[in-house]
Amino acid sequence: MNLALRMLDRTGLLAVIVVFWAIFVVFADGFLNRVTIFGLSRTVAVTAVIGLSQMVVLGIGQMNLAVGAIGGMIGVFTGWLMQSVGLPVWAAVIVALLFAAFVGWVNGIIITKTGINSFIVTLGMASVITGLVFILTKAEAFRDLPDAYTSFGKVPWVELGWLELSPLIFIAVAIAIVMALVYKRTTFGRWMLATGANPRAAELSGVPVNFVVQATHALSGLLAGAAGIMIVSRLGSALPSIGENWLLPSFAAPIVGGTLLSGGAVAVFGTLLGALLIESVSVGLTLMNVPSFWIQLFIGLVLLLAVLIDRARTVAVARGQRGVRQTPAGATSG
Amino acid sequence: MSTTLEAPPQTYALELRGIRKAFPGVQALDGVDLVMRPGEIHALVGENGAGKSTLLKIITGIYRPDEGTLEVDGQSRAFGSPRDSLHAGIGIVHQERNLIPKFSVAENITLEQPPVRNGQWIDRDRMRTESERWLDLLQIPIDPERSVEDLSVAQRQLVEIAKALSLESRILLLDEPTASLTPHETAVLFEILQRLRDDGVAILFVSHKLEEIFAICDRVTVLRDGKVAALDRDLRELDRDQLVTLMIGRSEHVAEFPQRDLSEAPVVLELRDVTSAAGPTDIDLALHKGEILGLYGLVGAGRTELARTIIGDVPMTSGEILVDGQSAIISDARAALERYRIGYVSENRQTEGLILSHSVLANVAMTVWSRLATWLGWIQPGAERSAVGPFIDRLQVKTPSLEQQVGNLSGGNQQKVSLSKWLAAQTAILIVDEPTVGIDVKTKHELHELIWELANQGLSILLISSDMPEMVQLADRIVVMVDRRVAGSLPNNRNYDDMSQQIMSLIHRRADPPDTPA
Repeated sequence: MNLALRMLDRTGLLAVIVVFWAIFVVFADGFLNRVTIFGLSRTVAVTAVIGLSQMVVLGIGQMNLAVGAIGGMIGVFTGWLMQSVGLPVWAAVIVALLFAAFVGWVNGIIITKTGINSFIVTLGMASVITGLVFILTKAEAFRDLPDAYTSFGKVPWVELGWLELSPLIFIAVAIAIVMALVYKRTTFGRWMLATGANPRAAELSGVPVNFVVQATHALSGLLAGAAGIMIVSRLGSALPSIGENWLLPSFAAPIVGGTLLSGGAVAVFGTLLGALLIESVSVGLTLMNVPSFWIQLFIGLVLLLAVLIDRARTVAVARGQRGVRQTPAGATSG
Repeated sequence: MSTTLEAPPQTYALELRGIRKAFPGVQALDGVDLVMRPGEIHALVGENGAGKSTLLKIITGIYRPDEGTLEVDGQSRAFGSPRDSLHAGIGIVHQERNLIPKFSVAENITLEQPPVRNGQWIDRDRMRTESERWLDLLQIPIDPERSVEDLSVAQRQLVEIAKALSLESRILLLDEPTASLTPHETAVLFEILQRLRDDGVAILFVSHKLEEIFAICDRVTVLRDGKVAALDRDLRELDRDQLVTLMIGRSEHVAEFPQRDLSEAPVVLELRDVTSAAGPTDIDLALHKGEILGLYGLVGAGRTELARTIIGDVPMTSGEILVDGQSAIISDARAALERYRIGYVSENRQTEGLILSHSVLANVAMTVWSRLATWLGWIQPGAERSAVGPFIDRLQVKTPSLEQQVGNLSGGNQQKVSLSKWLAAQTAILIVDEPTVGIDVKTKHELHELIWELANQGLSILLISSDMPEMVQLADRIVVMVDRRVAGSLPNNRNYDDMSQQIMSLIHRRADPPDTPA
């Protein structure tokens, strides 16, 4: 995808965020106070990681409808590991993340072995996972979690006057930086984009497409699990209902951010901005006493708008290609 | 009825004047004229990137011109969409497939004007009979109920032509209609075109095959770099060389390659009794080091399927493949590349060879990522560029930068990118499938010289081509495939007439009447 178009997306998105912030600063009482900003830094962090977990599969031209189910399961699993098994926090997190990656990898295996569309495979898996979680936990939450873990999501890290930020946002940014490097500088990142843009051409050029699909789904599971672990530390308890409402933001953040729905192009930092936009709108409208149904509706509209933009982008990319097939060779070289 | 030719000469069936169209950074058409009379077959020729496709897209309402006028039967028109153009009586057979794969042949043929009864109910019986009529006319033995996705490329092409004919347009545009047709199918098509011409249809024929232009067209318009190099000339007044000179702006240079005998060179790739799930049966083949081994056959003979079997893309059901004398198990394209250094340049450049939405750099580097990777798959900044750059330069790919999206390059340059990828991969064996289909004359020669040079430097090449002159010019030895089997192997003496006769007699001996339509 062409750089100018992408820059335009990025600056356009920033402009939209600035406009919304300006509106909220003026009309929503207490938008710019320390509690709101701190709260925002926590929710944006989780939404951003959820968005990234969807973005990686969008990048290979597929989707993962089980991000919420995996995130919820891993949240509960982490709670269980800490409370019932008694693992130390670091060990519980590592085990939970490995399990999250494993579940995502199972999605990938089913998709590559059967050739069934990722949409239906992950839809089915989501239902299976959520069902299992409720059966095994009997819908009970794990509430007796170590302090070291829950304070991480509750106590600010950075305190600069009125600006307080949660450590969670730093984790989200760190993950985004790693992801950006993976796409920019590693073989695997390139494999993912090649697979997403044209799996057949990628395969014939020696890209191990099946492995890439499996590994990408594992990565998606890993990131969804990370979001689950983050949200449990924020809430202070591992509720089985975590993840139920992740689906919309998981698509909205990357798509608003400039990830192509058709695959082959991702926007890592755009996804962060997308999450920032969605959560700002939701917090701002809440502060303006807009009923929650309206907020739901509004977020839906933002997503639809983003999809329209995605469509325009795809058309622009395609038109670029068409326009060009007949481009005089001499002119392109000049 | 030749009387239509005596109609008032000023009324053109189609008349375009001063058409200009720019795309970001490129003036694709710069004041182009085109005139067509009823009852003539008009050739539109030019190199890739000359502006032919853009012009066709303006005539069919896909693009709007920036400037210029378009008249149909003397009436000024402005098309806002392909439907407008269709309603004005203009039909087109696109170079790119425009059929709906999941629909049946009949549904596709009658897509624009489905027969209805009682108001809006689709009349399936009439749909069938109407499509049958057009299929019969073209002598295409295909059941109209079959789904298009089950058809071969050639069959799809024929269905596409049937679809265009069914609209009974007064103006018919054909963009490379014979690209995937056998000589027999082409002959049938030409007969029909001549009949349509006699009925007063104005036909625009776009092709790279100059032999066909001279065989069937009456007049010609030549485009070069978005401008008209020759407008509405009588083809009887031109010979091939003059036409080529008009197209490329100078006279053609055909390289003559010497005869070579490489039977003493070591065998790098050997097939023993290979049978593939995709069709090829009991194939025996030996490719020597530095040799160009031609694989000739009609469309459907199984050559591409054989290539796919060699690179492990389709499974081999029996037989043995040896690379450098060692038995090789090639499970997929990745193994072919990484373990056996075999590359495959696909005939479907745009769908299988390239990632059009990605950069030139990403496309060429695709095959070397694994090799460049260090710890954890990390690729050093600049490593791709230095691995890929020399090959882009060597092939003289015309691109403003390595970051340019490949979809933005002309067809010839796209093919060069597709080849560069395998050169960068430093393959020892390269299977090149129809390397010059849809490529202009100049780039074609460049590619031929490149292939020859590579072979001289020790690359062993399996060349699949349906272009007989290309085959005779390049190959050291020609293996002829008929009906998924090897019919024979001929040393190439570079005498075109002799070789084409030998090849044809092999084809006909094996598959006796190959062209009796059902």
